[in-house]
Amino acid sequence: MRGKVAVIGVGMIKFGELFDKSLETMVQEAYLNCLNNVDKGIDPKEIKAAWFGQWSGGFIGQGAQSGQSLASFIGNRDIPVTRLENGCPTGGDTFRHACLGVASGLYDVVLALGAEKMRDKPSAESLGGAGSGGGAETGSHPAWMMGQGGPAIQALHATRQMYELGYTMEDFARVAVKNHHNGTFCPYAHYQFELTIERVLGSYVVCWPLHLFDCCPQTDGAAAAIVCRADLAKKYTDKPVYVLGSNVGTDHSQLWDRNSLVEQLSSVKAARGAFEMAGIKPKDVDFGELHDCFTNTELMNIEDVGFARKGEAARMLKDGEFDMHGRLPINPSGGLKSHGHPIAATGLGQIFEVVTQLREEADKRQVKLKKGIGVQHNVGGPAFGVSVFNILSRSQ
Amino acid sequence: MTQPAPASPVYWRFNPEVFRLIGIKCNDCGHISYPRTKICHECGSLNLEEYKLAKKGTVHTYCVNWAPPPNFEPPITPVIVDLESGGRYQGLMTETATPEDVKVNSKVEMVLRKLTTDRGLNVYGYKFRLVEED
Repeated sequence: MRGKVAVIGVGMIKFGELFDKSLETMVQEAYLNCLNNVDKGIDPKEIKAAWFGQWSGGFIGQGAQSGQSLASFIGNRDIPVTRLENGCPTGGDTFRHACLGVASGLYDVVLALGAEKMRDKPSAESLGGAGSGGGAETGSHPAWMMGQGGPAIQALHATRQMYELGYTMEDFARVAVKNHHNGTFCPYAHYQFELTIERVLGSYVVCWPLHLFDCCPQTDGAAAAIVCRADLAKKYTDKPVYVLGSNVGTDHSQLWDRNSLVEQLSSVKAARGAFEMAGIKPKDVDFGELHDCFTNTELMNIEDVGFARKGEAARMLKDGEFDMHGRLPINPSGGLKSHGHPIAATGLGQIFEVVTQLREEADKRQVKLKKGIGVQHNVGGPAFGVSVFNILSRSQ
Repeated sequence: MTQPAPASPVYWRFNPEVFRLIGIKCNDCGHISYPRTKICHECGSLNLEEYKLAKKGTVHTYCVNWAPPPNFEPPITPVIVDLESGGRYQGLMTETATPEDVKVNSKVEMVLRKLTTDRGLNVYGYKFRLVEED
């Protein structure tokens, strides 16, 4: 796929508690923003296929949304549309499938769009719904899965990070402080306020060792990207962004099957395959949008995708290496932590951020580009056994 | 009033696993897993045999969940336990005075307890309790 596919437009809406917007409204606004983002213009009828990322419909009360939902919402019922669900990597994998559609030679121009409505239910119900999607209610086995859900699964990792790697709750809190700071510069972020380590550690304990402000919020949102054949990209835009590598990694579906809880092999495999496809190394990357659903998860991801050796991410974070103007900015958008985590929209929101940064249109949160390469990463699903990694570049 | 269910398929199906702790061991790679499976999750081998898990082990990791799913009184303490037989088992702690009593490497053993109710039926299974150190 390397160099065969280009992003010609991205669009999203501000993430948040969007009680005034239905799933359809969010989809339409993100879609229209995406069309308008194609700077030389595009006729919507040039889009020949679409992939619709939608995770929570069946769990949080909108019913299962299939392909026709997107086709109908955007008034284009003459194209094939497939709904895609792949855990928290749904958004990033929806993008990947759109790229595969173009790389296959079947389509010249396609749409990837992800949308999630998580706030129509009260917090506990919404979180419970998300947890049941991960098998928290009865899951694959009654005794073993009980009491799980995202916070518990990641807290079980965090305890082990503290034991094996010597990480502390302060180390975790520092991720929230960094990402909330970045989020104050991002007009699309759900939360736009600063945090301190003291405030994180003083917030309610959700699932020890994780506090309220160690956890990303439940969020409504939608985001989209239009991708096309690389050789056609200049027809649509002066600033195409090229896909160098894209991969999904998988691991066990149950925590007890996994050997290590300080490493998520799904992320390791996703990144390794994508870097191989791109023909580059982690050191060639200027910045990354990594999946910080919980603060401890960001530290694990930084190590798993190859940006730090195991056990070193906390120190590097403390030294400022991952700050917006540090050596390798991580989550300049504010990350899931402050930008929000509307699951299927999350990955495409990260794609939006990476493309915006690579076009140097990120305004106050613009990171410094060296090689002009940025990455997008998600990890999730039961036991965090599935991950997606996309590598984008401003040159082919 | 909730109509009691005649049976709970998921709990019925897993009876051998839940009460007799029957898992599988892979004769090719040694991986131990449960519930019983026909293909080794670790290596894909079909060369498996039934394997009885031990009731004792040490805590590999734990957390203290103050926001558990409905039907649970917070806090609950999920643990993943390294069993003496090999293999890991995930469950909940019981009979701890405070959650702080549980640590990585704490010695624990399984005890039969009520786990939850499923549409009016009581559901039993193993939880872990701390083993008194000699």
